[in-house]
Amino acid sequence: MTNKKDIRILAFESSCDETSTSVVKNGRVVESMIVATQIKSHQRFGGVVPEVASRHHIEVITQITNEALSKANATWQDIDAIAVTYGPGLVGALLIGVSAAKAASMATGIPLIGVDHIMGHIMAAQLKEEIVYPALALQVSGGHTEIVLLKDPTHFEIVGDTRDDAAGEAYDKIGRVLGVNYPAGKTIDEWAHQGQDTFDFPRAMIKEEDYDFSFSGLKSAFINTCHHAEQINQKLNKYDLAASFQAAVIDVLATKTIRAIKQYQPQTFIMGGGVAANHGLRDRMNSEIASLPQNLQPKVILPDLKLCGDNAAMIGAAAYNLYQEGKFADLTLDADPSLELPYASEMLK
Amino acid sequence: MKILSMSTATNNLSVALNDNNKIVAEKNEYDARNHSAHLDPLIAEILKENKLTLSEVDRFAVAIGPGSYTGLRIGVTTAKMFASILHKDVVGVSTLQALAASCEESGALIVAGIDARNDNYFAGAYVNSMTGSSPLCVIPDGHYHIDTLLSAIKEYYAKNNFPKIIFVGSGFEKQKENIKKLNVEFSFAEEKQNVVHAGLIGRLACKAEADDPDKLLPNYLRRTQAEIDWHKKTGKAYEPDNNYVEEV
Repeated sequence: MTNKKDIRILAFESSCDETSTSVVKNGRVVESMIVATQIKSHQRFGGVVPEVASRHHIEVITQITNEALSKANATWQDIDAIAVTYGPGLVGALLIGVSAAKAASMATGIPLIGVDHIMGHIMAAQLKEEIVYPALALQVSGGHTEIVLLKDPTHFEIVGDTRDDAAGEAYDKIGRVLGVNYPAGKTIDEWAHQGQDTFDFPRAMIKEEDYDFSFSGLKSAFINTCHHAEQINQKLNKYDLAASFQAAVIDVLATKTIRAIKQYQPQTFIMGGGVAANHGLRDRMNSEIASLPQNLQPKVILPDLKLCGDNAAMIGAAAYNLYQEGKFADLTLDADPSLELPYASEMLK
Repeated sequence: MKILSMSTATNNLSVALNDNNKIVAEKNEYDARNHSAHLDPLIAEILKENKLTLSEVDRFAVAIGPGSYTGLRIGVTTAKMFASILHKDVVGVSTLQALAASCEESGALIVAGIDARNDNYFAGAYVNSMTGSSPLCVIPDGHYHIDTLLSAIKEYYAKNNFPKIIFVGSGFEKQKENIKKLNVEFSFAEEKQNVVHAGLIGRLACKAEADDPDKLLPNYLRRTQAEIDWHKKTGKAYEPDNNYVEEV
């Protein structure tokens, strides 16, 4: 009698300002997840300071490793692989997770898996429902805004990308102008729901055939509007400003993503990344997809809100797929701050 | 007691195996640029060559600083994870004490330092009181401008009798003219003494008390520039670092 053995992965994530560990079973079930956030520290500076982030990561790394195991009721004997985000991200921050995971692998003899952070964000969806391939993902965060085609669980290709700022970055920058501390996304989203799109900010690249984005023009238009009003002592409604900004971002994201869904006809549509927690964007994507012809409607997986931000559970989910393909790393694994998913061939023309 | 020690504090990557006081083996990569990719393979190599496994090591020792911030974190993370997982001791050793330990001359005042640019040094002063004992710190490890460091040395020297001063570490030779003004006999350590040797870290760790792996952190000796600026701007006091990190 053969028993199909459960695969448990202990995962590490430390690419930015959250230190996280998690035990994930079979790439689908989160048995434990610890997230130690440093937001309170970086709020002193209005944004993430890399050296400060690295210093905080090392303060908690051994404790949260033990906590992830104990909360999952597991010991090292129960773990089949150790996974870690090795890029993209802040190099000093990534190195804490990478050094810790490699040391753990050496000390226990458990194999090591290096995971791309973006692949992880997209695989947060796998923790909610089974993904049917091919799938298409809209990956939106503070560092990335990409449309990614998932051919199978480990082969991803970027089909659209931002040419300048990431969407989440634009939220933080306009947040600063409105006096909202980093991370600003949640507050702007809440304000947007109380205001109207009255400013008609530009929707850059919305008509272009490709799936690329640009948010720096929108950000500048927003800042200029605020500065101009300030100069003539005019007070603008912050709710309308937030609503107008968010409408411009969502219009472009939704329009281009829907066009990509029509072209690639994926079986599943996924959102990932911190901005995937934005209620305006979630509602809009749901309704846009519901209004597509029945035969073009993919299954939609929007990850749980707590799995949209950086966490190790998503890394454990992605690592399971790599485990199945025997894609292991060795002790020379290093942080790669500018790691990128491959671009689709049509993007390289 | 078998000790595995490592230093990633400077551009010399060093690992060693000690049996109590005795250095059994040491491996160095001088001018190494990628400690993250090389540290674990170098550890695996030294263990294999000496027919040891990681779980047979009784104590892990690591240079906790001062040094390159990123470098320090690679070594400290590795050592504390080993100790935490294998339930073994971990000991953090001052990088400067390890540099001082390379100068065995007794009776001399040893100034150990790492160039922190713009005439600043991470430095401290040590004396070898007895042969075979660990160098004793007499001017605490700190981040000093060369003028402050030299006046601290002058003050200490005036109260104590030393035949000479030895400068060990990096960046001191360019201060030769300034050091001459102390009006005392001095010399610079030899090249091989100016790099941090893991074997000496192991030797120092052999006699030291073990640290709690959860609490073992690099000794940066300096706050981040962002924190210094924030403190100046707001006048607010620094809170303990763990107050800024919350589990959610």
